[in-house]
Amino acid sequence: MSTSETRSHSFDASSILRSTHDHNVPVEPCLRVENLNLYYGKKQALFGINMEMPKKKVTAFIGPSGCGKSTLLRCINRMNDLVDNVTIDGKILLHDDNIFDKSVNVAALRRRVGMVFQKPNPFPKSIFENVTYGLRIQGINDKRVLEETVENSLRGAALWDEVKDRLNDNALGLSGGQQQRLVIARAIAISPEVLLLDEPASALDPISTLKIEELINELKEKFTIVIVTHNMQQAARVSDYTAFMYMGELIEIGATSQLFTKPSKKQTEDYITGRYG
Amino acid sequence: MSELNNSKSQSSLNTATTSHHEKWRLLKDAIMRRAVTVGGLSIIFAIVVIFFYLLYVVYPIFLSASAESVAQYPIPEESAGKTLFLNIEEQNEIAARFTDTGQVIFFEAKTGKTLVQKTVALPEGATITSVALASPVSEGAVIYGLSNGQAVIVKQQFKVSFNGNKREIIASIKYPLGETPLVIDDTGAALEKIAFKVADGAATIVAKTANKIRLTSIEKEQSLFSDEASLTRTDSFLDMPGGNITDILVDKEDRNLFLVSDDGSLSFIDISKKSAPEIKQHLNVVEAGQKITSLTFLNGDLSIMIGDSSGLVAQWSLVKDALNKPAFQRIRAFKVSDKAVIAINAEQRRKGFVTVDADGKMGIYHSTAERELIKEKISTAAPLATILSPRANALLFENADGKIHFWKVDNEHPEVSIKSMWQKVWYESYPKPAYIWQSSSASNDFEPKYSLTPLVFGTLKAAFYAMLVAVPLSLMGAIYTAYFMAPQMRIYVKPAIEIMGALPTVILGFLAGLWLAPFIEEHLAGLFAMLMIMPVGVMLFAFSLQFLPENVRQKIPDGWDAAMLIPVILVTGWFAFSISVPLETAMFGGTLRDWFKNELGIGYDQRNALVVGIAMGFAVVPTIFSIAEDAIFSVPKHLTTGSLALGATPWQTMARVVLLTASPGIFSAMMIGFGRAVGETMIVLMATGNTPVMDLSVFQGLRTLAANIAVEMPESEVDSTHYRVLFLAALVLFLFTFVFNTLAEVVRQRLREKYSSL
Repeated sequence: MSTSETRSHSFDASSILRSTHDHNVPVEPCLRVENLNLYYGKKQALFGINMEMPKKKVTAFIGPSGCGKSTLLRCINRMNDLVDNVTIDGKILLHDDNIFDKSVNVAALRRRVGMVFQKPNPFPKSIFENVTYGLRIQGINDKRVLEETVENSLRGAALWDEVKDRLNDNALGLSGGQQQRLVIARAIAISPEVLLLDEPASALDPISTLKIEELINELKEKFTIVIVTHNMQQAARVSDYTAFMYMGELIEIGATSQLFTKPSKKQTEDYITGRYG
Repeated sequence: MSELNNSKSQSSLNTATTSHHEKWRLLKDAIMRRAVTVGGLSIIFAIVVIFFYLLYVVYPIFLSASAESVAQYPIPEESAGKTLFLNIEEQNEIAARFTDTGQVIFFEAKTGKTLVQKTVALPEGATITSVALASPVSEGAVIYGLSNGQAVIVKQQFKVSFNGNKREIIASIKYPLGETPLVIDDTGAALEKIAFKVADGAATIVAKTANKIRLTSIEKEQSLFSDEASLTRTDSFLDMPGGNITDILVDKEDRNLFLVSDDGSLSFIDISKKSAPEIKQHLNVVEAGQKITSLTFLNGDLSIMIGDSSGLVAQWSLVKDALNKPAFQRIRAFKVSDKAVIAINAEQRRKGFVTVDADGKMGIYHSTAERELIKEKISTAAPLATILSPRANALLFENADGKIHFWKVDNEHPEVSIKSMWQKVWYESYPKPAYIWQSSSASNDFEPKYSLTPLVFGTLKAAFYAMLVAVPLSLMGAIYTAYFMAPQMRIYVKPAIEIMGALPTVILGFLAGLWLAPFIEEHLAGLFAMLMIMPVGVMLFAFSLQFLPENVRQKIPDGWDAAMLIPVILVTGWFAFSISVPLETAMFGGTLRDWFKNELGIGYDQRNALVVGIAMGFAVVPTIFSIAEDAIFSVPKHLTTGSLALGATPWQTMARVVLLTASPGIFSAMMIGFGRAVGETMIVLMATGNTPVMDLSVFQGLRTLAANIAVEMPESEVDSTHYRVLFLAALVLFLFTFVFNTLAEVVRQRLREKYSSL
């Protein structure tokens, strides 16, 4: 497939969203990606991405390895800034604010757009200190506020009952699944609007995976969630919308039920039926 | 067929190769495993051997003395009179008995066989009323005070000659001031007590008659052994201090005279001017009700050991008081017995002494070390006369039962004790107890001062200042290099700093001692100015960068900021040192050193802790930097991204996550650096001045354990106390690093348990 072909073939993501939306609530977009191109040095990794991610819904990015889904996800909270030689053009709008704008304070942006990584990455501190980390770096040290946040966040991450008696234990003593939920608790402790999940369950066993998926279902009541997964079943189970990407291009985006049952692109169908990937 | 065979053999060959290969693989594995085990064990073995070797060399200094009876025999020539005192020569072969009839009987110390009997030429009709050995005892000179007011000086001589391969010692007596008795008291009054000091061509005699104390000083002109010897003589009298004089002591310098009375008082008289003796002090030296029962000079004649009737032996010494005037003062005491101390014999080459109490109990002590080395009953009753041999390895005494006993004494290393090495010791002639390391001197009666405290102090001081320089520089450098620096620049910076560690320390020490020390001395203000100007310059430079036009600024690659600072640092450094001299002239009216000395009273040594701190800091930086940089660099990326994703700034991430996670590595970096600084020898040897002073001042020198060993080991006699103390210093250094490294490792493991994250 040549680049120019796909590029010319752009479509109105928002219209698809609206048209395929089968709930009765109106969809309010939280994030909008506009004509996003990303280059690693001279090599282009993302090609003219246009899409919308609706508020308080789960949007899943699927696609074969190296298709750029994680790269796109990492654009949303500008984690790609940390990679040398990355140039980006285009826009990502968070409630109409372009996050690539010069005036944007990256740290503040990341507070609004939290992120959970593939591998659980608790800090080598106590459970309590892990959850309060995001608050402490903002200078919040009021013990009552911290304690309240810890309990709420851990409850929100469905971890409270398991760790409430050992909040001062080192977080590294938790199991992998617990660590990942702790990391989610840490992310939601600073009340972000958006939660980016980069293959959050891929390093976990099936039971922990199930717990994370249940958690995602609960979390979407409060947060806009964008999840990258290469597990299509997972995307089907947890997401409301699914975007299929291939070779740095967004092939198709739509309501999950629609995309998995009636994909409009042949490539999507080939992928979800397991012909490649 | 052949093809089939071929393929068969091939396949069988293949399996053979595989199994052969497999065996070889397993064999290699087994060999390597054993080799590694053997290697590891041999390192442990080597360290244990080093430890035990050090211990083996050191342990004799803590051994007690031992004494055993070798022989006892009837008093030789008992008919020749009662023993006044005994003497024994250096080889412990010949002893001498001086009798109250003026006989000197030389006999074999081990058997009691009489060798020679000499008679001191006494004038007709005169009897011996007093006798004294000259100080120092090793001179072997004796004075007899006579009933007719005259005195005779004799000197015993032991001549060693070789008859074939047999060594013979021939004993004789001679008269250094002539055979003619000296007339001390021209009225002919008996000399009840006498003391003297004799040297080539001069003698000082102090004698007490019934009502006078006479001081007679004789200087002999060149004509040796001539009866008409031109003796110039000065006579003077002293007021009789209160009480009855029981003992007289004259020191070997012929300067101080001590009179002891039976009321327990002591008078200290300055006799440096023979014609005008001056009483300096008169004081009680024993507690009320007690009597002075024995006394003697300690080797060197700077202290007097005074034994009393309560069994206490006190060391009294001349101490300079606040007005810098010598005053007699008690500096320590030994509780020797419950009974009276009837005799004290000072060792002739060390600051030790032997006491004998009224019960016949003998004790060997060392004054500086405050050690009781042995206490043993040697006799059922108080001995009548005792003498310790010149080498302090034999004891000869005469008992009331009419026998002479010969004891062998083994007392190799009395000079050190835990207290004398680690606590303040009041040394002779020092105004107060102090920590001193001074292991040798030109004089024989020198009191060795083996306090390890100043050396340990110096070691820690040098390490402290080195760490003060090295830790901030290397840790900050490591943090920047690992976390902020552009990878392209890091590729050059890290190996460059690590190569610094390969620089021989002798070169660093050489530069520090011969170039840096004088340079800093000349540019002291520049150094301080640099500490102020350089950070300000860096800040100003960083601040001014933002005024650069946008397009220029964007051309500066990320993480190369450090490279741009190099010229700033060079220029500010040069500037600071170039204004140093004018600055010192303008602000401190001359040099900063003088200002420190005059205004603040802080002395300045050219080779001082500041120089060492810089030079050794330079040597320690690569060690700390390299390990700390590795630790910081290997903090997992997912932790830093996790922190950044929570909205932390890079600085917050570094301070709260990276440093925490790298803390075990940073800790061990500092510990290894500290260990290096403690054990470092060449730099401290060349740049510290090697002055074992206990002064925290950064402008004062120091001496470290390692440098001390390097400096003194070549000049110390093998197996001497000094030699063993140096080994002890090595053992201390060894234990110090061992304990420190073990502690550091334990802490590091704990930190790692707590903070490591993969």
